[in-house]
Amino acid sequence: MVCKAEQTELNRLESQVDHGGGGAWEYLTLIRKLKVRRSDDVVKYGSPILNDPKKRSALGDDEWTLYEQVAIAAMDCQRLDIAKDCVKALQKKFPESRRVGRLQALLLEAKGLWEEADNTYSNLLEDNPLDQVIHKRRVAIAKAQGDNLKAIESLNKYLEIFMADHDAWRELAESYVSLQMYKQAAFCYEELLLSHPTVPLHHLAYADVLYTLGGLENLQTAKKYYASTIDLTKGTNTRALYGICQCASAINQLSKGRNKDDKDELHFLAATALEKEYKRRAPAKLALLSASLKSFKLS
Amino acid sequence: MRYEISQNAYIKLVLHALKHKTSAVNALLVGRLVPGAHGEDGLVDVVDSVPLFHSVLQIGLLPCLEIALLQIEEHYGDQGLSIVGYFNANERFDDDELSNVAKNIGDHIYRYFPQAAILLLDNKKLEALPKAKDRSPVMQLYTREASRNWKLAGSDGSSRLLAKEPTANVLLLDFISSKKWSEIVDFDDHLDDISRDWLNPGLFK
Repeated sequence: MVCKAEQTELNRLESQVDHGGGGAWEYLTLIRKLKVRRSDDVVKYGSPILNDPKKRSALGDDEWTLYEQVAIAAMDCQRLDIAKDCVKALQKKFPESRRVGRLQALLLEAKGLWEEADNTYSNLLEDNPLDQVIHKRRVAIAKAQGDNLKAIESLNKYLEIFMADHDAWRELAESYVSLQMYKQAAFCYEELLLSHPTVPLHHLAYADVLYTLGGLENLQTAKKYYASTIDLTKGTNTRALYGICQCASAINQLSKGRNKDDKDELHFLAATALEKEYKRRAPAKLALLSASLKSFKLS
Repeated sequence: MRYEISQNAYIKLVLHALKHKTSAVNALLVGRLVPGAHGEDGLVDVVDSVPLFHSVLQIGLLPCLEIALLQIEEHYGDQGLSIVGYFNANERFDDDELSNVAKNIGDHIYRYFPQAAILLLDNKKLEALPKAKDRSPVMQLYTREASRNWKLAGSDGSSRLLAKEPTANVLLLDFISSKKWSEIVDFDDHLDDISRDWLNPGLFK
């Protein structure tokens, strides 16, 4: 996940390189650092550097980092010819390397040779049973073949060992959501909330899952987590503001006014905040917002 | 039942899918039923489309979908149009199955519009488009049967999806090569930054 300032810098560098203003290496380095997926650009701007012996030697040891980056990006773009050349160069330089071994298995994945790739990873795991990247690649293979249940099973096994890997918990949650297994997804978000309580996206996702599950108790909890999202994002998260209104409306419908003593003014505050934002930044859509809020009106 | 999709609606759907190549995307179809003459089957005129989301969480969870449905119905209702269907593109290239989420959303739309359709992006057909010179939309059409299942419109001709303008695919290929898909704004983008307009008013100017 990339913050706004980083996104702006990425786009600035991209524009600069695109218009011939140089800075390709800085751009590629930032892509690597932020781990964003801009494979087309990496191949477009990285290949010329690698193909020019002068530019290559100017990089020093970073040459090999670039080979690896371009190899992976080329596989993402199905430019397997470029990928193969990069991996070959790396293998020549680092013959016994596990890191290069992983790239070779990745190349098999890119070719769709799932069984060969999986076997290669198994072999690599024998010497390195705690290599997290290899474990996760095997999950990726299951996903790529469309076997979501196997992917979930493998992820669960992985998390038994590496239970602090919050990216894996997020991936597992998303896999559960794609199969509409919302209770299990909720469990994943609970783990994430315990380990990373100040990340607003976890609060928001948890609230969304609870809202989808429905039922009075889930809706009341969802409302709390939309509220905590608003707190953590200083009221700038539109989805959470809508979420509060939706929860309030749904709770009111379910309890049919039985909870009249619930003096919660939260949804009015959320609605007002939304109206203010729309007036300021999306006045053309203000009428639509008002109509939506009307349908949430609690009578 | 015939389904005719306008050029703008069609192109928006495909461009949206191309903008987010690495994930599933979905969209709503907007239009009206044109009744047939003399007891003939009518046709569903898909006038416009609204790209919705490009992340698994937004597609598979309820809250943001509800907001989108409300606001889209409200906006197009003034023009005498309503939500007539759902579009979905799967995450993986060789996945041509209609997901359960798509069927559930389709069921919901069906309750308000019984001729509702689900369109699924046909990845292979899209890939072959530059060479195939095909005029038909690169999508598969699903309609709801009496048995409550969603059925693929096949060669039996019971339901058909047509492009309203014969130039639709030519224009689409043009936009793809000029990377027009980078300008598409969906409901997801709007919720991240409300100044971005999911109606995409300037897209075809």
